[in-house]
Amino acid sequence: MHRFLCLSILLVGLFANTGSHATEVPPSISTADDLGPKVEQPIEFPHDRHAGPRNPADAADPSVPAKGGMEINCMYCHTGARRSAVAAIPPLQKCVGCHQTINSVRETPRIQKLFEYWDAKKPVPWKKVHDLPDFVRFNHERHIQRFVFAQNKPVQEACGYCHGDVKTMTVARRQKSLSMGWCVSCHEKDHPVDVAATKTTHGPNDCWQCHK
Amino acid sequence: MSVTNLLENWSQFRHGHPVDDKPHEEYKWAMAIDLDACTGCNACSVACYAENNIPVVGKEKFNAGQQMHWMRIERYWPEDGREFADQGAQFLPMMCQQCEAAPCETVCPAGATNHTADGVNSQIYNRCVGSRYCSANCPFKVRYFNWYDYPSTDNVWPAEMTQQLNPDVSVRSKGVMEKCTFCVQRMTAAKNTARNEGRLVRDGEVQTACQQACPTNAISFGNLVDPESKVAKQWAHQQVELSKEVQAKDAQEGGTDLRGYRIMEELRLYPSVMYLERVRESAI
Repeated sequence: MHRFLCLSILLVGLFANTGSHATEVPPSISTADDLGPKVEQPIEFPHDRHAGPRNPADAADPSVPAKGGMEINCMYCHTGARRSAVAAIPPLQKCVGCHQTINSVRETPRIQKLFEYWDAKKPVPWKKVHDLPDFVRFNHERHIQRFVFAQNKPVQEACGYCHGDVKTMTVARRQKSLSMGWCVSCHEKDHPVDVAATKTTHGPNDCWQCHK
Repeated sequence: MSVTNLLENWSQFRHGHPVDDKPHEEYKWAMAIDLDACTGCNACSVACYAENNIPVVGKEKFNAGQQMHWMRIERYWPEDGREFADQGAQFLPMMCQQCEAAPCETVCPAGATNHTADGVNSQIYNRCVGSRYCSANCPFKVRYFNWYDYPSTDNVWPAEMTQQLNPDVSVRSKGVMEKCTFCVQRMTAAKNTARNEGRLVRDGEVQTACQQACPTNAISFGNLVDPESKVAKQWAHQQVELSKEVQAKDAQEGGTDLRGYRIMEELRLYPSVMYLERVRESAI
């Protein structure tokens, strides 16, 4: 009987402990579905509408308002990707440059909000979705030059290696872990040097290539 | 470097001689410092502070041996019983010598300091656990330890000074070792540009901060693999071969300028920095 009491006290203590522990767990950076956190943007930018595939039904009849995407190249807006370390968020001029002539959606809430920023001469305070730590040196240019221009891969595929299938999302959400092991898992693979190449190389293996 | 990679390619990593066994393929960064030109003005040291986000620790911590200067000017005086003994110093800029057989690398318990394919000794702050073995094993004493969390220490970077921090270089936190990197951020930028254009980095394309700031051009920096680079020419024509009694280079053109040496060469560390001995008379 004494032993049973001891055991039950021990067990109760154990569960009580785990219970209190569970409440103290800090909010996790990654979410249950292993994606990045849902970032609330000032304007819910529809990536699917801009970069998504055209609806085949629309192509047959151009007079029907398109509900599919417009297949805009990622680098039409993220112009930095092919020529600098960062891909860059487009300036407000880029949005307005097109949208001032697109009257069909001029009165929708999101576009109205866009023009509120424009009239106030204020940039849209977009939030960062893919944020690497400060000690990492990542270069978009090298990856785009290598995979899009040298290997001739489709842009959305090359960007999608790290950013996921953005053309199916509205507000972009981090799809990959962006951890060091995840980067290295691709750097270890042999990639062909260009389209016709039989020669392959893997990504750089030096610590200093990415750590600064 | 994964363990599998290490085991499978062991013969690549095991060397009897760090340079001759397996010559560098594309780049071998090296430096030559002409002590004849060096005036000891400290511009290189200041430039290094600015480029590499080095904390300014102040007199008190400096006296406690906690100085952080990656580039320091060492001073030597001839002991000849002169009246003003503190005049007429000889100067020697001293920073990490980027040894090919680096004693710091072998003792790191965390693998935080490694050799890169470019022949530079890398230091990864995230890996560093602050054991300070590397510093203890460094014969040049050019590794510096963060005894304090300098970004949050008063007067290290006063409020507006944080604006001048270099975004391409980490601001180190407490408990990690740091040292001269040969301005790796500049080398990486130049290599990226070169790769985009499908060529190798040209001579003079990368300048280290100290080299850029030197008013007498005493420092030259470049790629030893490229025989046309300034540094490679200096190494080829001016370096004394300590293992040989008779110097074949003496007979060559410009052989009279044979004054290059590497510090503590007898330790066989194969440093990447060659000093050119001072030959001019002291002003005093």
